Parts: sequence; structure tokens; C-alpha cells
Amino acid sequence: MSWVGRSVPRREDVRFLRGEATYLDDIELPGLLEGAFVRSPFAHAQLGAVDASAARRLPGVVAVLTGSDLDAEALPVGGVEGGVVAAAGHPVLARKKVRYAGEAVALVVAESRAVAEDAAELVNVDYEPLEPVLDPRTAASAPLLHDDVAENALLRWSRVHGNVDGAFAAATAVVGQSFHIPRLVAAPIETRGAIARRDPAGDVLTVWCSAQDPHRPLAQLGHSLRRDRDRLRVVVPDVGGAFGSKGAVGAEVAAVAAAAVELGVPIRWTEDRTENFLSSYQGRGLDADVELALASDGRILGLRAVLYADLGGYLYPTTAVAPHTTAMLLSGTYRIPAVSVEIFGAATTKVPTGPYRGAGRPEAALLIERMVDLAALELELDPIEVRRRNFVPPDAFPYETPLGWTYDSGSFERCLDAVLELGEIDRLREERDRARAEGRVVGIGVGMYVERAGGLWESAEVRLEPDGRVVVRTGSSPHGQGHETTFAQIVADELGVDPAAVELVWGDTREVPPGVGTFASRSVAMGGSALVTAARRLTASGGREASARFESGLVFASGAYLAVVEIDPGTGRLRVCSVAAVDDSGRIVNPLLAEGQVLGATVQGLGQCLVEEAIHDEEGQLRTSSLADYSLLTAAELPAIESRFVETPSPLNPLGSKGIGEGGAIATPAAVANAVADALAPFGVRHVDPPFTEAKLWRLLQGGAA
Amino acid sequence: MTRRIVVEINGRPHEAEVEGRLLLSDFIRHTAGLHGTHVGCEQGVCGACTVQLEGAPVRSCLLLAVQADGRSLRTVESLAPAGAEGLHPIQAAFQETHALQCGFCTPGFLMTVDAFLREQPEPSTAEIREALAGNLCRCTGYKAIIEAVELAAERLRRP
Amino acid sequence: MKPAAFAYDDPRELDEALTLLAREDEDVKVLAGGQSLVPLLNFRLARPDRLVDLNRVEQLGYLRREGDVLRIGALARHADLERSAEVAGGWPLLAQAACFVGHPQIRARGTVCGSVAHADPAAELPVALAALDARFHVRSVRGSRVLSADELFLGYFTTALEPDELLVEIEVPAPPAGSGSAFVEHARTHGDFALAGAAAIAAGAEARMALLAAGPVPVRARAAEALLASGASFAEAADAAVAELGLAGEDADWRRALLRELVLRALEEAGA
Repeated sequence: MSWVGRSVPRREDVRFLRGEATYLDDIELPGLLEGAFVRSPFAHAQLGAVDASAARRLPGVVAVLTGSDLDAEALPVGGVEGGVVAAAGHPVLARKKVRYAGEAVALVVAESRAVAEDAAELVNVDYEPLEPVLDPRTAASAPLLHDDVAENALLRWSRVHGNVDGAFAAATAVVGQSFHIPRLVAAPIETRGAIARRDPAGDVLTVWCSAQDPHRPLAQLGHSLRRDRDRLRVVVPDVGGAFGSKGAVGAEVAAVAAAAVELGVPIRWTEDRTENFLSSYQGRGLDADVELALASDGRILGLRAVLYADLGGYLYPTTAVAPHTTAMLLSGTYRIPAVSVEIFGAATTKVPTGPYRGAGRPEAALLIERMVDLAALELELDPIEVRRRNFVPPDAFPYETPLGWTYDSGSFERCLDAVLELGEIDRLREERDRARAEGRVVGIGVGMYVERAGGLWESAEVRLEPDGRVVVRTGSSPHGQGHETTFAQIVADELGVDPAAVELVWGDTREVPPGVGTFASRSVAMGGSALVTAARRLTASGGREASARFESGLVFASGAYLAVVEIDPGTGRLRVCSVAAVDDSGRIVNPLLAEGQVLGATVQGLGQCLVEEAIHDEEGQLRTSSLADYSLLTAAELPAIESRFVETPSPLNPLGSKGIGEGGAIATPAAVANAVADALAPFGVRHVDPPFTEAKLWRLLQGGAA
Repeated sequence: MTRRIVVEINGRPHEAEVEGRLLLSDFIRHTAGLHGTHVGCEQGVCGACTVQLEGAPVRSCLLLAVQADGRSLRTVESLAPAGAEGLHPIQAAFQETHALQCGFCTPGFLMTVDAFLREQPEPSTAEIREALAGNLCRCTGYKAIIEAVELAAERLRRP
Repeated sequence: MKPAAFAYDDPRELDEALTLLAREDEDVKVLAGGQSLVPLLNFRLARPDRLVDLNRVEQLGYLRREGDVLRIGALARHADLERSAEVAGGWPLLAQAACFVGHPQIRARGTVCGSVAHADPAAELPVALAALDARFHVRSVRGSRVLSADELFLGYFTTALEPDELLVEIEVPAPPAGSGSAFVEHARTHGDFALAGAAAIAAGAEARMALLAAGPVPVRARAAEALLASGASFAEAADAAVAELGLAGEDADWRRALLRELVLRALEEAGA
């Protein structure tokens, strides 16, 4: 009897349900002080003198520190393959210049958060405001954010494959479209936070951090504070959601860590919700011009795209990742012989962007899936048929795309067929046509997706304790995904024990082997596979403990989503009537948990279609800086969502698993965008950018511009 | 300006000298040391801080600690049977349907649901969805939570 | 986000509260439900020197019918309106409006008088009360006065209340016999601030309409009411209700259309 493949309820739920979990702000330490930041009110300004004299005099204030008081380097910049990134790392506290409204300028350390905020208000800072830079399309000719970054180019990347000009010359038709994909806020219900405490004996700095894993904070803080593993320990407690936004540590975490060293006192920073809006890196933010060259039967001959990424004031370690991923996945599930893609990653006077659930893949899916529907419209073909004519066929795997990644396995047409069946496409089309005859505005849309997951390596140690427990130390780290249960299922199968006997240790760099981390839907594929490898080594050796490091190329999950929408012409309100989701994540360890990921990701995807958008005004101020302005969907908005899995195993890991955490956020916006376009097509509307707000849709239905 | 207050939480008195501006959510978490109640926004939108004030579900981030002087609160820690590892039927239902992932919003939901089911023991799905709309979850997509409430309602009606 | 410091009083008697409000050397704010005020305190958008908490002034905690008038005391909560059999029977519009106020947790604490005094143009109860021709009883150490909705609501978050005045009661006359009522609203998500809304009370050709988030104050659509009384259709009345609105901004045409749609729906529902 196999545990893998079973819907086992999570055993870790007990402590969460009883209120006994320990999140960052729950940690109590003797003598713990609280930090609050002084933040720039300007999006772009020269930073002059910081006068903290009044603040320091306030009773209860221990210190006020600025950039020059902290012995810390800017956080490291992460590159991407084939790309050129500028040396524009995020400073720990601003020096000489501020480059987004909300950028931290000084840190107040006090006996309580309230007193720290009182003091922060008393800090006087000289700013000389400069012109904001807001549009990535025109940033190249705007005032420079960084003197040594010409044209505000934080990232440049391009790739050409095949005879692109020839493809466009030979095409029967060319369709082109410009897109604006707005920035989003990840908005986990638990904001970020960190506690730093230095133990003088041995000079070990311990940082507790609400993070996606301990490894990246270790590396990033280690870089900034020039400390290696011997003198730096990172502990990740229970984490209240992240969705990519707690992967790279924020500058504030490094500031708190550096301050703890400087002052010799333990300091906590619990981010408040306003700070989370202002200073937690945002997701998406892409403008694109895309063209497809088409043959008369709908085959795609070539793809050209220029992507303008709205990257913000600095490059966090992972800022370049999402636009690069968008470019790499732009051919989607299709075989496109000739491609030319270019990225201009612009510095803008906004908070930096970074990975947020999907991290570049939702953008790719939206772009290519909209283009395919536009191609079908242009050629007067069925959009579903056009997809069939362009899919990478099942016998082509492993398939190297013209952009350079190799899809390990996939059954794209099978996913499409599955979703058409799940959604009952024939009945839907009949209903749509009947509704249209009654004057209702209804649309159906399909969104295919490919997502890259896994990759790099992950580690695990398995040890048999004398009392029968199996203790597993993993480099992966949960923040809601249920690793304690899924990993126990995996080990239970390998060692023939009950999952209840398996104990998972994670999150503390002192207690777990070095690892890579939890992001890019990689935990089962990589962390799980490391476990399998370690367990098999254990069994083969007949010993009591074994460890393993599992390395693999990228694995590619995929799927097909189908959305039905209706627009109320009186109000412009978009109602998503239903979403059918077919995900191919290879082998599923725990269907109950996997479905939970699909449902959660899909609702986040719906959020970006319906209500979510980070809006900056002409001064660079974030207008949507509270939960009253940036709406999150509630249980009352939930449409019917049906989920089904296709399992095309990956040949690249012993579990055959890919990743499931992000598919819903990737495919849903594409499917809904196509459904909205389908609904509006009878009104002569060609394309609408998300979010599909009432005002926008209403104006389009009146015959106006969005 | 401080005041000495006594707040009863889950049947036990908690006494402290507090500033007028201390939020009830901070009193519960850091003065009384009950960390099950979480803080998500401090503006009354997310619902993570929901507790029960004499039976009524309220946002503890929108109450001052001094307002709870002499009054009686229940937090998530009061739900499970005392001692050992048991779970309240609502908690058990949440576990069965996978109605929690990161768990941060969960205590707020539990307090809302507990109060709701006492007032409406046989709710329709539409009524459940509306009752839950004051608690935000970013992980689950709500479907499993709605199912948990339906399951819990059924179980509570037939113990 | 933690509030700036303030002095705090929780009087037991109304006179005590009024005396505290009359302090001239301090910026004093009233705390009742706190659902609007405390977020402002937490954001430090409100920084009063002193908070006067009314919650222990028991004499203000009532919701009662006297003859055919409903009296809403300063501490009556939105949840009380939802639950009251008297409100359901005699003033259903108030319960209909209350359902839209935020979420159950907000309604458990938020007060009707507090919502009125806060005067958010997107607030439901001021609009419903305007449609019902409610009268607002105000007290201070200097005396008392009674205001109509037109006299009370002056602008965005601005009422005619002086700094030392307290809204102690809202008196709501009974709606016309045999009338139906409806409250409709449009928000981005459930419980979110309303983008537009309408309250309607209809009895045959007689109707009253009040608009939500249509301007700085609740808007009684009197021209539209007159039109209806002279035999116009619901649709014509809805057109008239929005025609005079001075809506500005880039979404003005949509908001006008939305309000028109909601007025029409409210009339149809109320008339049914």
C-alpha cells in the first residue's frame, strides 16, 4: 500500500488550529527591542542630512541609525543566464539618494514599536526631490536613477533563434499587440519580519526571519554583513504565507541584523501592513510588444517580442528572474521555429519587483495565449484548433525550445482535451450562443501554460532513531505547502514505515544541510527527490543514517485552464462564472494538498484579473497602499473551480514529480483574459489588459476606449 | 498615561498596567502571552485578529486594551478541549477538508465560524460565504474553508 | 502601525462625556464603535489629544420604538439593527442597509450614530437615514438641537457637529404605510467600501431615493422623486436622479451609469 498518491490530511494542522504555531512575531526573547524605519516620502530625491537628535532624546529610544552607521554592504544582485545586470544592489539603508517612496532611510530601535514610531516621526531628513521615473517604455531617456547605469538599464537580455525576418516575410498574416501587465502585491496575511541577536561568545549572529527558506537569507545576509556560516545562523519559524515575496531578504532585514551587531542588543522588526505595501518587492510589472508571423492554416512561423520590465529602483537578488522567465517561456506550449525576444529591464522610482507566484510565467502565458487567440481571430479560425496545430507533440520530448530551455516531458494536447471535457465545452458554447442571443455579454477562454520548476539541487539527511522515529533533515522549507506531511509520505513509502513515525526538521541552518530553498514549485521535485535518494542510500547501506544531494535540470509542469465569464453591461462588472483547471505536474504525492495549491493559486490569479493592481500616481506615490485600496478577493467572490490532474511523469527525478504550487496563478489570468476578449469581440473590442475593472469594461461596451 | 486593567481571557484574568493606546490585539499577544491571535493589517480588513468579546466576533486590532477592562474575551486557544491533543469539531473539520495552508488566518476564521454557527446552526452555502467574507485568506482560495464550515455545521447538529 | 499617544477617559454618565468634549485646550475625539476611528488612529491620520470612550455610558445604549418613531441611541450597533424585530417590521430599510456595512465583526462594534458622525460618503446608514427623513439629536454642555440630514451632512467626512457636540440619538419616523424598501450597492469585493449605491422607499407612485457615494454627502434625489410622483417611470426617475449629479474625474461617466443602474434596481426592488 503506497502512501504517495494518497490524500492524507496534514498532521501539522493540529498546532496551527490550536493557535500553537510560532510565527516571527510570536518569538519572545529577553531584552528584545523593537525597530521601526524612517522612510522616504519621495519617490526620487537626493538624500541630505538626517537629524535624529530629537528622536534620540525620546524616552525609551535606544538608538537611531542611518546608512553610514551600519557596517553593511548592499544586498547582492542576482544575474540571469545570457543577461547583463547592473551593479545596483539594494543598500541596507539609503545613502545619498532615495529611489522609491517608502525606501528605508533610518532605523529607530526602542523599547516598543509604538515608541519607535513616535521617534521615527521626530527624525528630520533633508530631501531634494528629483523627477520620478515611472514608465519602463520611456525610462531610457528619463533622468538617471543611478549615475553609472546608463539609460536606466538594470537588465538587458536578448535571444534570436532561426530566421525571424524570413518568417515574417513569408507570413500570410502578422498579428501584433501591445500589452500592459500591472504590478501586483503578494500580500501574504503575515507580513515580513526578522529578529537579530548577536551572541558575543563566538561572535555568532542569529537571525530569525519570516522567509521561504533559511539558505538564501544566509547567503544574502552573509554577503551584506560579510559573515560566513560559522558566524551567522538563520532560523525560519512558521511562516504565514510568502508567495515569492519572502524569498530574498528585504533590505530592512539586513539593516536590523547589522544594527544588532552594531548595538549589541537583540532587535525585532515586525513589518506592518503599510510597510508591506510600500517596501516589500512587488510582482509582475511588464509592458510588451509582441508579434506573431502566421501561415494561413494558423501555424506560427515566428515570434518577435520586446519586453519592458518595470523593475524599480534597485535589483534585489531575484529581481531579474521574472522577466527572464517570461522571455524564456514565451513560446509556451507551441513549436515556433523562429523567435526574437528582447528585454529592457528599466530602473523606475518604485519599490523593486521580484518573484510573485508564477514569477514571469503568468506574464508569458498571458502574452502567448492572447496572441494565439488574436491569431485565430485574424485568420477566422477556431482558437482551439489553432492551438492543436501548434502544440509541441508528445513524441518531441525532451524538447528544446528556440529560447533555450528543454521541456522534459509534457502532454499538452491531452491537457487541452481534458479541460474541454471537464468544462463541457460543447454545452458551454451552446449556452454562450443562447445567452448572446438574449443580449447578454458572455465569453469563453482557454489558457495553456508551461511552467518551469525544480532545477538546481536540494539536500536531505535521513536518520533512524532507536525509538523507531525517522528524523529527516531537509533543505526545503514549508510556508503553507504541507511539507511535513508530503515528505513523510515519501519517506514512508521508501522505508516501509508509517508516516506518523517520520519527523521533519527544517528551517535552521544549524540543523539542516545546506540547501537551495522553497520557490519555483520545486519542493517535491527537488526536496522530495533528495529524500528518496537519501532513503534509498540508507536502505542500501543497512546503516542508521544517510544523506544525499539531488541535482537536476529544470522540470516543466503544464496545463490547460478554461474560463467562462459574463459582463453586466449596466455596471461593467465582470463575473467569472467558472474555471476548469487541468494541471500536469507529473506524479502527485498528495492529491488533497495538490488541489489546495491549485485552488489557492487560481484565486490569486482571479485577483489579478478582477481587482488587484498596484497603482502609482504621477509623483511615484503608491496609491494602493492599504487593504482598503488594494482589494483581495473574499469567500463571497469565489466562482466554481473544478480541478483535475493529468500525470505525465518527469524523467528527471525519482518521484517523477514536477511542481504544482503556481499553475493556477499562471493559467487563470490567461484563460480569463481570453474569455473577456471573447465576450467583447462582438462589440469590436480586440484586447483588454488586466485587471478587468468595471469602469474599463463598461467604457468598452459603450464603444469607448478602455 | 497608563491604567491598571483586568481582562478575562478564556476564563482567566489578566491584569496589567497599560497605555491608553495599547491595542487589544497587542495586549492579547504580548501582555497576556496568547499568540494564537494574529495581526495582519491593523486596519480592520483582514480579520486575522478576530476574537470573541462576550460571544460577538470582533476585530481585536480595532479595540483598545483599556476597552476590555472588566470584560470577557475568548481567543482561539479556548476552542480545543483542555489538556491533550484534541480538536474542537470546527478545527477537526478544517483539518479534514484542508482548510488551512500557512495557518496564519486560521485562528481568525475559527473565531468567526464558531460565533457564526452558534447563531446560525443550519446555514446555506450562500450564507456561509457571506459570513466568511470578513476574513481574508491568501493561501487556500476559500473553497476548502467553506466545505469545512458545512461539515462542522453538520457535525455540531448531530454530536 | 501604532497610534500616537492620547489621554483616555471612559465616563459613565453622558454629562461627564459632554464636559470632556467641551475642553477647549485639547483636540478631543469620541470613541464609540471604533471601526472608523481606530484605523485612523493606527495610521496616525487622526492624532487627538484625548479620546472620550462612550462605551460605558449605559444610558446611550438603546434601540427602541416609541409609537411610530424609532429611537437609535448613540451606542446602538449596526448588528442591533440587523437583529431587531422592530426594525425588521417597521424600518426594514435600516436592516437592509446595515447588511452592507463591512463584515459581521465590524457590525458587532460599529455604531449607527458613529457612522453618521463620521460622514463617509460611502457609508450606508447615513444614506438610509436620509431616505427616511431621520432627525439627528445633538447635545453639548451648551444645550441641545435637532438637525435634518441636509443640515447635518455638510461635506466629505464633515458634519455640522461642533467639536463639543455629541450625536446622542437618531429619531426615525415611520416610512409611509404599505411601502416597500430596498438598498443596493456596488463594491469591488464583498464588504469593501461602496463605489456606488442607492436606497429606495416606494409606495405606489410615491418614492424616496437617496444615493450613496454620489457626492460629498448622501444625495436625496428630490427632483427624481417629484418626477415619479407626477407619473414618470422608474427608468425616467433613475435618469433624473443622476442627471444633476456633479460627478468629476476620469470614471465619471461610468459612475453615473452605475448609479443610475443601482437607483433603478432599488426602485424596482422596493416597488415589488
